[in-house]
Order: sequence, then C-alpha cells, then structure tokens
Amino acid sequence: MKPIITANKLSKSYLMGQVTVHALKNANFELYERELVVVLGPSGSGKTTLLNIVGGMDKTSSGELYFQNTPLHQADAKELTLYRRNEVGFVFQFYNLMPNLTAYENINLSVQIAKNPLSIDELLEQVHLTDRADHFPSQLSGGEQQRIALARALAKNPTMLLCDEPTGALDFQTSIQVLKLLKDFCQTYGKTVVIITHNTAIASIANRVFYLKDGMIDRIEINANPLTPKKVTW
Amino acid sequence: MLWKKMFRDLKENRGANVACIVVILIGLMVFTAFSMVLDNLKISHQQFYENQHFAEGFVQVVSLPPTELKRLEGLEGIAAIQGRMVKDVRVLFPDSNENVYLRLVFLDTNIENPINGVLLSQGIPLNNRETQVWIDNKFFEANKLNLNDELEVIADGRKRTLQIVGVGKSPEFIYALRTAADIYPSPETFGIAFISQDVIKSLFPQENAFNELIFTLKPGVDFAEVKKALEYQLQPYGLKSIIPRADQISHLMLTQELAGLESMSKAFPIIFLSIAAMILYIVLKRMVEQQRGQIGILKAMGYTRREIMLHYLSYAVIIGLLGGIAGGLLGIALSYPFTSFYQLFFNMPNLYGSFSVKYLTFSILLVLIFSLFAGYQGCKRILTLEPAEAMRPPAPVMGGKVLLEKVSFFWNMLTVQGMMAVRNMSRNKGRTAFIFMGIMFCFAISSFTWSMNDLVQKMLFDQYEKVEVYDVKITLARPQSQTIVSRELQGFAGVKEVEALAEIPVTLKQNWHKKDVLLLGIPADSRLYHILDKNDLKINPPENGLLLSERLAQLLHADIGTILRVEPLMFNGSGQDQELEVVGIIPQYLGMSAYMELTALQNFLRQEGLVTSFMLNVEAESIPLLQEKYLLSNAISSIDEQAQRLGKLEEMMASYGSMIYFYALIGVIIGFAIIYTSTIITVSERSRELASMMVLGMTPAEVLSVVTFEQWLISILAMASGIPLSKLMMTGLSQAISNDMFTMPTTLTFSSFLLAFLITGLSIWIAQQFAARKIRQLSLVEVLKASE
Repeated sequence: MKPIITANKLSKSYLMGQVTVHALKNANFELYERELVVVLGPSGSGKTTLLNIVGGMDKTSSGELYFQNTPLHQADAKELTLYRRNEVGFVFQFYNLMPNLTAYENINLSVQIAKNPLSIDELLEQVHLTDRADHFPSQLSGGEQQRIALARALAKNPTMLLCDEPTGALDFQTSIQVLKLLKDFCQTYGKTVVIITHNTAIASIANRVFYLKDGMIDRIEINANPLTPKKVTW
Repeated sequence: MLWKKMFRDLKENRGANVACIVVILIGLMVFTAFSMVLDNLKISHQQFYENQHFAEGFVQVVSLPPTELKRLEGLEGIAAIQGRMVKDVRVLFPDSNENVYLRLVFLDTNIENPINGVLLSQGIPLNNRETQVWIDNKFFEANKLNLNDELEVIADGRKRTLQIVGVGKSPEFIYALRTAADIYPSPETFGIAFISQDVIKSLFPQENAFNELIFTLKPGVDFAEVKKALEYQLQPYGLKSIIPRADQISHLMLTQELAGLESMSKAFPIIFLSIAAMILYIVLKRMVEQQRGQIGILKAMGYTRREIMLHYLSYAVIIGLLGGIAGGLLGIALSYPFTSFYQLFFNMPNLYGSFSVKYLTFSILLVLIFSLFAGYQGCKRILTLEPAEAMRPPAPVMGGKVLLEKVSFFWNMLTVQGMMAVRNMSRNKGRTAFIFMGIMFCFAISSFTWSMNDLVQKMLFDQYEKVEVYDVKITLARPQSQTIVSRELQGFAGVKEVEALAEIPVTLKQNWHKKDVLLLGIPADSRLYHILDKNDLKINPPENGLLLSERLAQLLHADIGTILRVEPLMFNGSGQDQELEVVGIIPQYLGMSAYMELTALQNFLRQEGLVTSFMLNVEAESIPLLQEKYLLSNAISSIDEQAQRLGKLEEMMASYGSMIYFYALIGVIIGFAIIYTSTIITVSERSRELASMMVLGMTPAEVLSVVTFEQWLISILAMASGIPLSKLMMTGLSQAISNDMFTMPTTLTFSSFLLAFLITGLSIWIAQQFAARKIRQLSLVEVLKASE
C-alpha cells in the first residue's frame, strides 16, 4: 500500500512567553489509504499538534511532511488552503458549526467549495438526520451536531478525515454512533480516518494505534483484528 | 492593576479606538474652529457696527435737495438721518483694460460720529477743496496703491484725478459688491472711495442733490412705520427704494454666512459624536461580552459593581478625552487660518483668531457626556451579571430564519455565505442599524456636497451662459429713447446685434404682501436674453401680464392668475398704479425679477420707447474700442463684459472646489471608521466561525466575503436611503440660505449620486481591506482550541 502522508523527523516548537515548548519531537510515521488510525496519549503529549500539522492548519518547525508527493513543509498559506480544501476533512470536539446556518446549509457550505462533492441528502441519510436538515445547530443535540459536523467534513469528499476528540463532549451511546459512522466512512468511502483521543477504549476499533508521550511517538501498534464500534465499551 | 488592564485592552483594540478618536477629533475640531470663527466674526462686526454707527435704513431717490433733509429729521422714530450722493465712476489704470469701478460715497466731514462712519487706518482728514479721497483698504491693497497716489477716473464724462490721502473701512462695505449679481467681492475691480461733498459736487457739477439717505432708528421703533412715513415724504423726489439693514447687501451676505457657520458648528459635532458614540458603544459592548469571564472573576474577588463599571467606563472616557482634547486644540489651531480666510471676503477691523479656553472646555464637556452615555449603554449589562453566571459561557447564539427567506427568488440566488450574511443582519440588529445609519450619512454628506457644487455652478453659470447670453451690457445713466441709442450702437463697427432692455424698479403688491423688484422689459423673440422655463425651454416675455420668478411668486403668495398691483417707483407722475395678471412662473436662481415684453411694459408705463440699458453681441476685438468710445460718455453708467464676469466666477468656483474636497474627505473618513470598526468587531466576535471556514479550506477572501456581503447589502440599502436624506438636507439648506439675491435650487444631480456612491463605496472597500488583514492573521489552531 502506498502512503498518502509521509512524515520524517517532524518537529514543532512554540514560543510561549519566554519558554520554548517542544510540542512535537522527531515524529516519523506514514498514513495509508483506507486505514483508521487512533492517536492516543495524555494531555499535552502532542496529539493535537500532530493533527494540526497533518491537516495543514499549522506549519512544522523542522522535518519533512509529504502528502503523496507534495512537500507540505514547504507549502505557503495559499497552498495549504488548497490542501485543506481538497484533501482534508476536520471534525472537532466542539463541532464548530455555523450557528446561523441550518444543518443542510452547514453541509452545503462545504459542498460549495469542493471539486467533487458528495450528495448532501445521501450524507444526511447516512448520519440519520434527514428529518433534521432544516434545523439550526442550537436546535440540535450535541450528538446530532457532531453528526452534522461529520457529514460536513465528509461532504467535500476529502482524502482524509482528521478528528480531534470527536466523542469528547458526547455521552457513551452517542459516542458509539459517531464512531460507527467514522468506521463506515472509512470502509464505504475508502477514506483515511485519524481519530485523536485519550480514551484508550476507542483504540480497539483502529487498524493502527499511535501512542504519543511528551511530544514523541512512543510506539505504533498494528491491530490485526479491529473491533466494530458496537462491541466497544468504557 | 485595572488601569494596566485597561491600557493593554486599549492597545489590543487600537484599530477601532483610533477610528473612534479620529471621528471625535474631526467633529470637535470643526466645532471648535467654526464656533471660534463665528465668535470672532460676530464680535468684530457688532463692535464695528456700533462704533461706526451703521445705518438701520437705506433710501435711494432720484434726487433730493439738501434743504429738504431738515424736514425728514423731525420724522417720528428717526434718530438721525443723513443725505449723501453716491456715484460709481470708472477708474483708468494705465496698464489694464479691465473694467475697474470706484463707488464714490459722500462723507460729511462736519458731522462728528456720522452714520456709516469710516474707520481710518492710515492717512489724513479729507480736505474740502482739493480732490482728495479715502480709499477702502481692500481696493488699496489689491491694486498695490500707496498713499498720495493719484487715480484717474471718468466722472460726468471727463477725466479727473483723485488723490489718495487715507485708507479705511466702512461697516456698509464689509462685503463689498458692486451689484447684487456679483455674489463675490472683487477688490481688484471694485472699491469704495470716500469723498467730501464739495469735491463730489465739483466732479458732477450738474447734480446738486442727494441720491441716497441713510438713517438710524430710535430704540424700539418699527422700521415699517418709518418706511411708510418716508415713502409719503419722498414720493415727489423719485423714491426708488427704502430697505432695512437686514436687506442691505453687505449685511445680508454677512448674516447669511454667520447663519451657515452656526448651523455647521452645531450639526458637525452632533453627527460625528453620534457616530463615535456608536463605535464606543459597540466596542465596549463587545469587550464586556468577551471579558465576561474576567468580570465574573473580578466580581468573585470582591470588586463591587461600581468599581467594575467605572473600569469599563474609563475606556470610553479615555478615548473621548483623547479625541476631545486633540480635536479642541486642532480646532483652535485651525481657527487662525479660517479667520484669515474670512478676512479675504469680509472687510472688518479686529478680525483675528484668538485662543479660546471656552470652546476647549466646552468640547471636552461635550465629548465626556457623549462618551459616558455611550460607555454606560455599552457596559450596563455588567450590573446585572451575577459572578457565577458571568463565569459561565454565554448562552449559544440562536440561529433562526429571517423574513427575507420568504422571498424565495432572492434567497435561492444566495450562496451559503450570502445566507449567513443575511441572517447575521437580523442577529445583530444594533450593529446593522449602526452600519445603516453611518453609511446613509456618509452617502448623504457626499452627495449633498457634490450636489451643492453642481448647483452653485448651475445657479451662477446658467444665468450668464443660458439666460443672459449677450457679450456686453451697456447701462444708461438715465432712461433714454430706444431708437436713437439703438441706431448709434448698431452703427458701431463689430457690433453684430443690439437689443434694448428696460429695467424698471417697481413695488409689486398682493393684498398685504409686497416686494420691491426690478421689472424687466425684454423684446419679444429676444436673442440675447432667454427666459427659460423649468425644462430649460425658451419662453417669450408676455405682452399682457407678468412672468414672476419662483421665489418672488412665493413671497407675494402669487400664483398664475393672481392679479398684482404694480407701482413703478420712477414714473409716478405718469399715471395711477395699475394691475397686471401673473401669467407664468419661472425658476430663477440668481436675483428675483418680474418680466414683461418690452413694448408692452413701455405702454404700461406710458413711456413710449423708453429703455434703461442695451445688450450687445460684439466681435471680441471690438469690445475695447467700444469701451474707449463710450467711456467718457456721461449718458452711460457702466459697460459690463460678460466674459470678464464669467472669468471671475470661474476663479471663485475654483477656490470653492477645495471646500468640496474637504467634505468628501470627511465622508470617506466616516465611511471608513464605521466599516472598519464593524468589520474588526465582527471578525473578533465570529473568529470561531470564520476559522472553521478556513479549516474547511476556504480562502481568506472567501471568508471575508461572508462579512463583506453583509456590509455591502446593508450599505446599498443605506445609500439608497441616503438619497431622500440628501434631498432633505438640500431643501433645509435652500430654505435657510435663499434670499432676495439668490435662490438655491433643490434638485439633486445624478452625477452627485454617482460620485457619492463611488466615494462611499471606496471607503467601505478600503476599510474591508484593512479588516482582511485581521482574517489572514487568524490563528486557526488558537481559535479552534478554545471551547465554546
């Protein structure tokens, strides 16, 4: 299998006041097509930094990062925008839906800028929210909002789906629904899905698990028999 | 500690704060400067009037023997009355072929403290025997004259020499115009010479009488009563007009200017401070919302509501004070050049700029009131927040459908960004209203200013380019027979066309409404004087009735069909007053007159063939010859060249142009301040939404369009509403400044709208470009990391 993302000695440091914080140190990894990767680690271990850099939201301090053959570490703001637009779908812990757009319109926002978008109605059906299409975010529950956020991320038909604590604000039942959707997307649409979490239970549905500690990738485990989300408990 | 917090917060919001300070600064600068100039002008002219005994009434007669004056002195209500001779003479400057006139005004050197006394700034008393004169200082300076210089003039058909022995100014000629039609003083070509009666007699040996009377009233006396008594007394001496001080040209122009300045000095600070107050309100409201958590913590720590309130109010006060003090000081500085600008037009003593603590204090007080009010409105919510509640995040913003969505054809046209914009407009009603009002004013100010420019052009140039289309006008010293003079002029080489004109002073009456005006007799099918209707179409002067100018009809409460009594002031021996019907009303911006066909007018007056002036079309190169030939004639009082008049007007308009740019700049600044503030606040308030869109892969330009679409939509509606607003401003201005000399049209020109649209649009666009930088600087990671 060919990797879609290749990272060589990826490092990121921030200047926080007078202190330099090394958020990510010498990370080496690949991401492959159609795989579901879970990134585990305690708070401050560098999970979000890793995701932001892979997602083109942040730039590296040193090291190399390739999307297919494109060197992202050399990309300027414009190229990164295009990369985000065409290749990446983001899902956040706090949904970040547009409060004054309906569920349907939120997805449409993403469809508008996509080259090869998926059908909004089909996506709404997938996330079981067809009857809520006309509702505004404030009229939806947290789980519903997150499902719309998922549909919005996927609607652009991106190569990868990057999810930062997608179940962090949800109860157990709703979390399972969301994980199931992510797994389905990975399988039915053939997307690469990266999920960041500190919930170790979620690791069992992944093809591979990255363990992060103090800004470094401690180890990468391959999960030969991932569970279906239904079988996960915590 | 809170002070430190405040200064850091101020720094963080510096864009909006600077915009707010600039808006306050401009408002108060204009306020202080205009108020000070106004005060200077008022004090200066009042003192001048008082010291020099400026007359309260002005009478023109054909000729009144000096012996008759005694009788008038006894009239009830009159405090003092003086007779005088006033004559215009042509000045011959050796190397100039311009028409230069001096108005010779008789000064009785025997009276102490005479009415309209001359304030001598240099020179010696007038001598009764030699041809010595005092000259007004403007003419003196403009023509680079020196004391004891000699001026060659044409008086009564002969060349005479006058010696300048003094320079001074008179309250009667603060704004010195030769004729009301001149609008602007032109000290190079028109000046005043004060001269003793004996000398004037030697210049005009045939005339031995007064042609003007000036008088002052006893306190509490009604001018109309005195006028009635004088009319009765003076009728036999060829009474031409009796006017109160209020209608005297120089005084009228001065009071007009003062009124204009006064309204500007009031309107400006109100408009600008209101806009600044809105900016302050929005910025503070936003800050209080943003710092909700901090307020909660402060409250939890035990800060009282009052202390926190004062903390936030101090933002408003600091911004207000900065703008207020800077504006006040700049205004004071500006008042000096402004005052000197007025010195160019208004010839008054003691007209100097002076430092005024009064207006500085006043502007600071004014700005404090405004900023405290705006500040309080912006942060009063603090008072109601409980600490625990404050520390919790605010309830999520409700999304909702708006009315516009029902207009499906419009709604379906919108992109998702467009929909967001439209819904946001109703989400932030206060801010939408602010942008709307601000842009409306910005547009109205611009279009109003440009319209003014167009209209002043129209007012002035229409009269000379479309109505009075002759090359030269020759005014006769006294009415004469049409055929003889006409024949002579036609025979002159280079003269292409000659038409006669009768300008007869009359009193028009309709019940108790009456007005003294010139009744113009114009030949049927005149090719040199076009009477134009509303649509600029030429109409013929009527043979059996009167045409009135709009303003005159208004003053007389006359309409088409109204019968007016017509009392000629000159030919009162020719028969009784008669009545004429109003047969038409025409727009006329410069002056106000009544019109009739020439022969019909002559018949009406029973003065067959009588005319007062001639209009000529002449080859340009023949004009100097014409002037040379008739210069010495005592039958001719003046030769006016249209090209010279137009040239002078154009010069004046050019200086007016700089005023227009000043107002346009102000329009741009307002537009910029409003859009800039609202954009950066929107960006900060919705940074999360905007960042999410960037994460989705939208370019900064696409993200900005969500904000700008909303602004353009509001702005376009606001600009459309600015059209009636500027019309309203125009009507207000027209009513305020229209007088007997000119009427301000209220039509707004299309080009002014177009320009206003461009100016407003440009300032919006520039502000958005500044705001775009803020969007590019949004840190996606930071914004999205924070929880909602």
